[in-house]
Amino acid sequence: MNAARTWVGYAWAVAATSACTLAGLAMRARFEPVNIAMVYLLAVVVVALRASRGAAIATAALSVLAFDVLFVPPYGSLHVDDPQYLLTFAIMIAVALVIAGLRDRLRREAEAQARLAAEAENENVRATLLASISHDLRTPLAVIAGASSSLAERGERLAPEERRALAQSVFEQSRELSEQVSKILEMTRLESGGITLARDWSSIDEIVDSVLRRQEARLASHRMMVDLAPDLPLVRVDAALIEQALGNLLENAARHTPAGTVVRLRARVHDGELVVTVEDYGGGIPPGDAERVFSKFHHGTLEGGGGIGLGLSICRAIVRLHGGHAWAERVPEGGSAFHFALPIEPAPAMPREGMAPA
Amino acid sequence: MSETPATLLLVEDEPEIRRFVRATLCAEGYRVVESATGRRGTIDAGSHRPDAAIVDLGLPDMDGLEVIRSIREWSPMPIVVLSARSHERSKIEALDAGADDYVTKPFGVGELLARVRVALRHAARPADGGMVLRLEQATVDLERRIALRDGAELRLTPIEFRLLACLARHLDMVVTHRTLLTEVWGPSHAGDTHYLRIYMKQLRDKLEADPVRPRHLLTETGVGYRLRETTDD
Repeated sequence: MNAARTWVGYAWAVAATSACTLAGLAMRARFEPVNIAMVYLLAVVVVALRASRGAAIATAALSVLAFDVLFVPPYGSLHVDDPQYLLTFAIMIAVALVIAGLRDRLRREAEAQARLAAEAENENVRATLLASISHDLRTPLAVIAGASSSLAERGERLAPEERRALAQSVFEQSRELSEQVSKILEMTRLESGGITLARDWSSIDEIVDSVLRRQEARLASHRMMVDLAPDLPLVRVDAALIEQALGNLLENAARHTPAGTVVRLRARVHDGELVVTVEDYGGGIPPGDAERVFSKFHHGTLEGGGGIGLGLSICRAIVRLHGGHAWAERVPEGGSAFHFALPIEPAPAMPREGMAPA
Repeated sequence: MSETPATLLLVEDEPEIRRFVRATLCAEGYRVVESATGRRGTIDAGSHRPDAAIVDLGLPDMDGLEVIRSIREWSPMPIVVLSARSHERSKIEALDAGADDYVTKPFGVGELLARVRVALRHAARPADGGMVLRLEQATVDLERRIALRDGAELRLTPIEFRLLACLARHLDMVVTHRTLLTEVWGPSHAGDTHYLRIYMKQLRDKLEADPVRPRHLLTETGVGYRLRETTDD
């Protein structure tokens, strides 16, 4: 590719010199040779700005050659009568070098600046990550440390039901913590490309059922409505990952909408894709945030929602890995809808079977 | 549990995990043998002859799979695996290597106890697949191949019967896709998961009160299926 760019540069050198020569021949009757030299100089400047240093020098050399042969007496030879033209040649070469040098410096500075900006952004992401992790992981850790120390040091003075409640909160908070840590690891694995899909023909009905069983406790605070189109086609996906993607959408809905509101899960075929939707009736995504909610460590607005803001980014990364797409929108009647769509491939045929003889 | 208490082998390298698992199992009346390494575990399995083993897959000295394989060389004792989350592949490998079930870390002790209890019960009286399944809405006599739903006869295809029988032989335990496909359709169909999806849907349509939220034919995403007779537990 670099070689190709070099050749393009030299092609420019030849083209620019030829164009100037044609222009010079046209000007020859009415202009002094020194003005024609200016036209060549322009070509050198243009090539020096656009192509490589080598191409700029080549342009200067070709220009000097053409100028000398065609416009400096004696015509048709390289011999130069007037030493002032030697100065013209020297200036042309010098201009080529100076401009190419300037351009190289500008380019290097721009690159350095871009690198610095990228590093700063990386640093920013890392800082956000650390801030987010330390806040969101410390809360459950504080509960675990507090409740368990209370049990260990004061256990015998507590009423049995208080003991049970403390132990229960240790259990719940550590599960929560474990899930957050898994999310961070999952995001890291997804970003580093360290995931190979274990694709199998899978049933979205089964994935939905499994995720609802798994998230039962978390979704207990909301009214769950499930609406699956009949006879949905099988999809060739990594079912465990798609279950996670869907689980993250449900978890997101449960975290960011008030208890008691409806969360609706739908699946249907639309435009040759299997579209899964989780709709909630909470505050809705703030206008203009439909894309931003998918970015890493984005936190919703509902206070105490918890979570480290990775669920939606993980969902999108998983869906994209499958050649699908994920998006969000405000629902006109209030609330938000999160969708993901997976490509549908024709499932292989299966031998038909007769009924058992009665 | 009036007879001699069952002995359980616990192969786990983390002392803190061994501590709470042992405490819980002992409180339930089991005798517990602890092994901190895979090598120790395979030796203890031979010398203590436990009734069942609980094996962590992430051991420092050798792969938990090796422990399972080495036990399986000489014993059919139930093996319950402890595995990290989102490692479906290692769960499947463990099950295919001969483990009977798994519990995903982090786990509550209730879950582990339930799995151990099922595994022990299963070892005591292995289901032969010729039993009568009593589900909420339907009864299936797997030997005589008669299915009834709300008293009326229900027609199941030969493959549906075979699939149900295979799940029933491992009642309450997870059965991998590969095992089901191999046993019902044959080894050449071990990768045809779409067969399973279609037949499980048919079975649920026929046997479950609500096929979309099944209570008997349960999905273990990415791993396999589990048949449950009773819905409490």
